[in-house]
Amino acid sequence: MAEDIEDGPAMDAKRFAALAEAFGGDPRRWPQAERAAAEAFASSETGQAISRHAGKLDALLDSYRVRPPSKALYGSILRGADRHLVQRRRQRFWWLGLGLAGIGLAGAIAGLTLVTVVTPEAQSEHYVLDANATAFGDAGPEAENGEESL
Amino acid sequence: MSADPDEELIRRVGAGDPAAVQTLVARKLPRILSLAVRMLGDAAEAEDVAQETFVRIWRHASSWRRGNARFDTWIHRVTLNLCYDRLRRRREWVTDDLPDVADPAPLPDAGDETQRIEQALQTIAPRQREAIVLVYYQEMSNIEAAATLEISVDALESLLSRGRRALQMILAKDGVHD
Repeated sequence: MAEDIEDGPAMDAKRFAALAEAFGGDPRRWPQAERAAAEAFASSETGQAISRHAGKLDALLDSYRVRPPSKALYGSILRGADRHLVQRRRQRFWWLGLGLAGIGLAGAIAGLTLVTVVTPEAQSEHYVLDANATAFGDAGPEAENGEESL
Repeated sequence: MSADPDEELIRRVGAGDPAAVQTLVARKLPRILSLAVRMLGDAAEAEDVAQETFVRIWRHASSWRRGNARFDTWIHRVTLNLCYDRLRRRREWVTDDLPDVADPAPLPDAGDETQRIEQALQTIAPRQREAIVLVYYQEMSNIEAAATLEISVDALESLLSRGRRALQMILAKDGVHD
């Protein structure tokens, strides 16, 4: 279309009528690339007749005005924005808290790992009872020999 | 692509700046509301659509990045989609496959000219109405309107021509337009 042609296309009655039919009689609404050529053509007798005809529907369309937004609507939308901002701030704090808790947990795990790696292995004081052990000592063959020597 | 005049504002809104929120509402609400009113022909529904549009703006403001579209184009698309949802719910949805010739029945006796235009707009195919509303009332250029509707500028021109012809036919039947 016209937008692709840098210098703008030549304007004739057919193209001018097609533009007026689509965009109306006001050249400000027309595609920028064709506006200058269309404005030049609009001063011709044919151009004026086409613009006049298109202008009738434009005038009708212009007469359809919409009431501006009420204060109540502005207020309601702004309150909605406030609620959203508060909610987002809460979410941010929640994520921040979660992040801090995560960092704390990671620190604790790292500390525990470090302690485990650095601390030398303590000798086990755990006494493993074998089959000959009693609460009073070893009741194995040597003990029996001792009793005999008495 | 030219700079987006809303980019800095939406960045501030995304950062939670209350002044930016107020500026954005003041700047965009009249445009969003007028678009919705003209698409739906119902002020109360249009207000609901405007509120929903802003909820989406608040939700996306912090992550909004300019891709191929300006912020204004994006909010127009959001508003139009919400309008379509409501039109669909009203069973007024007309697909592109259906004939886009306006209903030949005369308009109901309307009180004044504005009401007749409003009713005539509601009678034409939604896609044609969309094109007319964006170019005439939202004062978008043909390139911006085509981008909003995600169609080529040729297709936009065709929609506008058919829409205007349909309006002329309806209004002529009603004795408003000769």
